[in-house]
Amino acid sequence: MNESETIICRCEEVTLGELMSAAKQYRCSARELKLRTRAGMGYCGGRVCRHAIDTIARLANDVPDPHEPPLKHQPPVRPVSFLHLGGEAN
Amino acid sequence: MNDARIRTHPILGELPPRKEIRFAFNGIPMQGLEGETIAAVLLAQGIRTLRYHEASGRPRGIFCNIGHCMECRVTVDGIDGIRACLTTIKEGMEIHAGRKLPAPLKRGGVTP
Amino acid sequence: MTDIVIIGAGPAGLSAAAVCAEHQLKVLVIDEFMKPGGRLLGQLHREKNGTWWNGWEESASLTRRAEQSGADIRLQTSVYHLQSDHQGWNVYTSAGIIKTPYVLLATGAAEIPVSLPGWTLPGVMTVGAAQVMANVHRVKPGNRGIIIGLNILSFAIARELQLCGVEWEAMVLAPNAMLHPLYASPRHAADLFARTAHLAPAFWMRAGGKLLSFSWAKTLTVRFFPKSGVNVWGIPVRLRHAATEIIGKEQVEGVRIVEVDADGAPKPGTERDIPVDFVCVSGGLYPLAELAAVAGCPLRYIPELGGHIPLHNEHLETPLKGLYVAGSITGIEGAKVAMAQGRVAGLSIAFHHRKGDRRLQEELLHAVRDVHQTRESAPIQFHPRITEGRKAMKELWNAAHHNG
Repeated sequence: MNESETIICRCEEVTLGELMSAAKQYRCSARELKLRTRAGMGYCGGRVCRHAIDTIARLANDVPDPHEPPLKHQPPVRPVSFLHLGGEAN
Repeated sequence: MNDARIRTHPILGELPPRKEIRFAFNGIPMQGLEGETIAAVLLAQGIRTLRYHEASGRPRGIFCNIGHCMECRVTVDGIDGIRACLTTIKEGMEIHAGRKLPAPLKRGGVTP
Repeated sequence: MTDIVIIGAGPAGLSAAAVCAEHQLKVLVIDEFMKPGGRLLGQLHREKNGTWWNGWEESASLTRRAEQSGADIRLQTSVYHLQSDHQGWNVYTSAGIIKTPYVLLATGAAEIPVSLPGWTLPGVMTVGAAQVMANVHRVKPGNRGIIIGLNILSFAIARELQLCGVEWEAMVLAPNAMLHPLYASPRHAADLFARTAHLAPAFWMRAGGKLLSFSWAKTLTVRFFPKSGVNVWGIPVRLRHAATEIIGKEQVEGVRIVEVDADGAPKPGTERDIPVDFVCVSGGLYPLAELAAVAGCPLRYIPELGGHIPLHNEHLETPLKGLYVAGSITGIEGAKVAMAQGRVAGLSIAFHHRKGDRRLQEELLHAVRDVHQTRESAPIQFHPRITEGRKAMKELWNAAHHNG
């Protein structure tokens, strides 16, 4: 297996190669990388891959790290069932 | 029991005796000890695969073991998305590894 | 009616819980783990005086104190959202929504992985996962493993796992300097030795460690570093080798390592496959600030603290009314500092709750000083520039409030 086949987002199985070519092609932010490749959109909420995605986006765009996390944190930050949300579990 | 449990530890001491709990994993009857997590009791018996990736079918096991990565999600008594690393085994629990999902609309996908 | 919800029953959360409860606040601590103590639970190390420090005992003691003071601890409960309204905070948990005027985020840190081909195979885990499996659940993560990524945490856990009967093939560097600039660097690893020299048992390692403090000596040593590695506690530490791939069909069967030059570049033709049955990756820690972010708390990027940190002051208040932070969420440090911070947060909240209490103000001042002293007396730091990081946060807070 070569380096570009390294999975970066485990949840969505997005590879390093896919992320690097998207970053290069679109010269985009981490957020846009997430929208284009689905990296960071999986079950873990980007908890495992956000550091790598931020690194790739930053290197592709040659920008310093911004204060607000490049990949937005979205609720729910833990899995919650529709049953629970609908009140039937209570 | 011939398994990977650390029964004696030079600092942490001996493991106290605990009640045996019977459960099933993928339909196979198994035993564990009270207070053990699903991930721990399976690993004690050398079982590392807890699910198969929903798209690729590749085997997955614990990664962070503290509930952050969601890799260890299993189906427990019919409920999906239960983290094996945070869930303690209970008598009669039925646990199943998640399987690859059908993708009938995807080019090359399989219709069940 | 709850006065304060503390999210995280680790050393910071439990310390704060005891202090708040001792000051007559109705305290609820929430944690998704099945035991209280957080990451303190799995920790085990030998102090300079030879005695063993046991995280299990420390956790039990903190839990006892919190519960005896009247705090409620709810385990196996997850928090999925945090939002404020005109009345205060709404904490969305897997056991219902809790309304409270005060929230303390003590959610700690998460691990940054090292990514390489084959790392999704069962049997590859974070170094923290191995620690919890062995020391908390008392199950060996495997028989013979390899650690990819050298830092204080991976060294400490390597030693802890030896005590559990685990054999280590080696500790090696991460591959791919682009993805892992520090962890793929032999120089960064050599620098780590310079800082940890006083923990090394063998005399020559201690002497070697002191030599590495100067960058010229660093270059010299990295270039002439024995290719077979050095032994620390009998574990081969190969800072001239990197793992390039994890091999196996259904689970880990082995790892491919390659020799690297002083800059971390792989030397083609030096690849070797080594059988191991599990792999630990360690790429560092970052503060788990997701709840602060969804609550609307501003964050600041401070690499010396470990990443994006909720904006806070020395009293551990955030800009949001009633929202406080303590522990590794404020910056990656050890359990002792987390406990001291928990005390500050507890007193800070109690002082805010009981406005004008002079004695509390005094105690708070002492507690803040105590955090500094605890930091200064720590034998080792995860992040060597932690003091600079703390200073940077202070300046950023002042800047935000000057303009606000």
